[in-house]
Amino acid sequence: MVAFLRRLAGHLVRGVVMIWIVTTFTFVLIRLMPGDPVQTQYEKLLSQGVSPDQARAQVQVTYGFVPHGSWLSQYGDYLWKLLHLDLGTSVSAQGVSVTTEVMGALKWTVGLVLAGTLLSFVIGVLLGVVAAMRREGHVGSVLSLLGSLLHGIPQYVMALVLVTFLTVKVKAFSTGPVDGLLDPGFNGPYLASIVSHAVLPAVAFALSSFGGYLLTMKSSVVSVLGDDFILASELRGIKPSIVFRYVARNALLPLFTVLALSLGFMIGGAVFIEHAFNYSGMGAMLIDSIGNRDYSEMSGAFLLITVAVILANIAADLLYSVVDPRVRREGAGA
Amino acid sequence: MSAIDMPVAGPAVVPARRTGFWRNLWTVLRRKPSRMAGAAIVALFVLSGVVGPWLYPDNLPRDNDLILAGPSLAHPLGTDFEGTDVLALLITGSRYVLVAAVVAALIMVVIGTGFGLYSGYRRGFSDSVLMRITDFVLTIPGFPLLLVLSTVWKFSSALQMGLVLGITGWGGLARSVRSATLSLRERGFVEAARGLGMPTRRIVTAELLPNIAPYVAMNLLIGVTTFIYSQVGLFYLGVLPFKSNNWGVMIQLAVTNGVTQTGDGLGYLMAPLVAILLLTLGVVLLVDALDEVFNPRLREE
Repeated sequence: MVAFLRRLAGHLVRGVVMIWIVTTFTFVLIRLMPGDPVQTQYEKLLSQGVSPDQARAQVQVTYGFVPHGSWLSQYGDYLWKLLHLDLGTSVSAQGVSVTTEVMGALKWTVGLVLAGTLLSFVIGVLLGVVAAMRREGHVGSVLSLLGSLLHGIPQYVMALVLVTFLTVKVKAFSTGPVDGLLDPGFNGPYLASIVSHAVLPAVAFALSSFGGYLLTMKSSVVSVLGDDFILASELRGIKPSIVFRYVARNALLPLFTVLALSLGFMIGGAVFIEHAFNYSGMGAMLIDSIGNRDYSEMSGAFLLITVAVILANIAADLLYSVVDPRVRREGAGA
Repeated sequence: MSAIDMPVAGPAVVPARRTGFWRNLWTVLRRKPSRMAGAAIVALFVLSGVVGPWLYPDNLPRDNDLILAGPSLAHPLGTDFEGTDVLALLITGSRYVLVAAVVAALIMVVIGTGFGLYSGYRRGFSDSVLMRITDFVLTIPGFPLLLVLSTVWKFSSALQMGLVLGITGWGGLARSVRSATLSLRERGFVEAARGLGMPTRRIVTAELLPNIAPYVAMNLLIGVTTFIYSQVGLFYLGVLPFKSNNWGVMIQLAVTNGVTQTGDGLGYLMAPLVAILLLTLGVVLLVDALDEVFNPRLREE
């Protein structure tokens, strides 16, 4: 238990350091931008007849620091605001705080990613077992090739092919934001609308990511099948169904790590799918903020995407020690 | 020429075969027609990247009567929204993408192998510092980082694009080269070399590097495809200004000109997508062949 807590503490310290580096990076980046956006906003406000004091206050609300200050004092202001989870306000949606915007986009992405990942995990694991069992024959080699290929191609290929053929040629699904006229909440039409908008992105997501699970599961099953204890159980005449259970439990272990890691990366990794399907999640928000030159929103979105990866890394490491008793015992001994 | 097969500790560590690489490759390629196809596909893309742009005039001819047309004899893949031949666009657009990807993959290999070898062989303090840096590079989500970087850096040439892709993408390779080095340095022949008093530089270059090279070579090939995806993705999302044509620009223009909405000019949208698919297929098949050349134990199965 002490070892576990020490590990957790180490992870958290490293995570905080990383977050600090990332925030520093985005701060420097915004100051380095051609045509200094901070200065630009300040001058634009002045030219609109706003008094210098008000303009300065307005800029501070947007970016978290005042124009004209020294870099150091600006940096201090910026970090101080961040500590209070204040990411500034959005430029494109005036007056809305970036935190609100980011959280709004996050729920859509999490929904999409969870559905897509679960789907691809299940497909990948099942096909991976089949590929491992039939690895000598054609079924196995076809599945392996399919896995490598789907694992290889980028998500936008899948997304664009599905968008073009399923929403244009066959008008089966709708794209774009969920209809704003519907009453949001837990009611039939609203939920149905969400489902019809999210099914295709989730399927595109699953199709472009199950290949990785398939390949990992296949090699994992093959290596477990070669273990002595499997041979021993077969020799002792244990029922195949029970032997299969032994295999499955051991072979699934590496998959959990992959699963946890991919969940972290997917918060920012669904960029293409969200863009292609016009789905208003984190990735689409990041792209829009770059297009709109809305840099406080951009750094907020990027920060959240990075935090997701850091958290998933910690979760993956801790999860592994929970599901695999061998790691736990080694950890306790060390 | 028989190489001595030594017991293998890690998946990445295979005994070095210093002779007959090309002959082995040829034998292995011939064993399966799919591998020949893979090699042919990759060769085709390399050819189109090298000589492609010389086959066409700098300003591609436009046919104003055929806008977003379907495939025909004159235009095998159809035309774009200005009436330009899609096949010509595809071939002339391949150079930027391929040059940037190859540059990026080379940078990735140099940094990743260098860091991994040094870290794994030296161990100690510099190892933990280098691995902290590697973890950092691995944790920062790569594609969002490129998106954010695109706000200050416009990647105006293929070389610059390759540089940025390579510098942000070497983490995984460094990690696996390091773990391969860690297991190699404990093996008999490395210990013998140390015992004989060989200088470290020679141990690393003559004993360790040849054993890691096959793994690195396969990563180079896979790296090229991943870097192609990232840059095509950046152009597709439209965050970069573009001066010349490339696959990503084609996808972006096809989408902004409504191909995904109307379905007209499908060839224009699909050509770069299918090119990416084909190239992936080619590389997957070729990597399968390389795997067998470098890892002779696979041949028995």
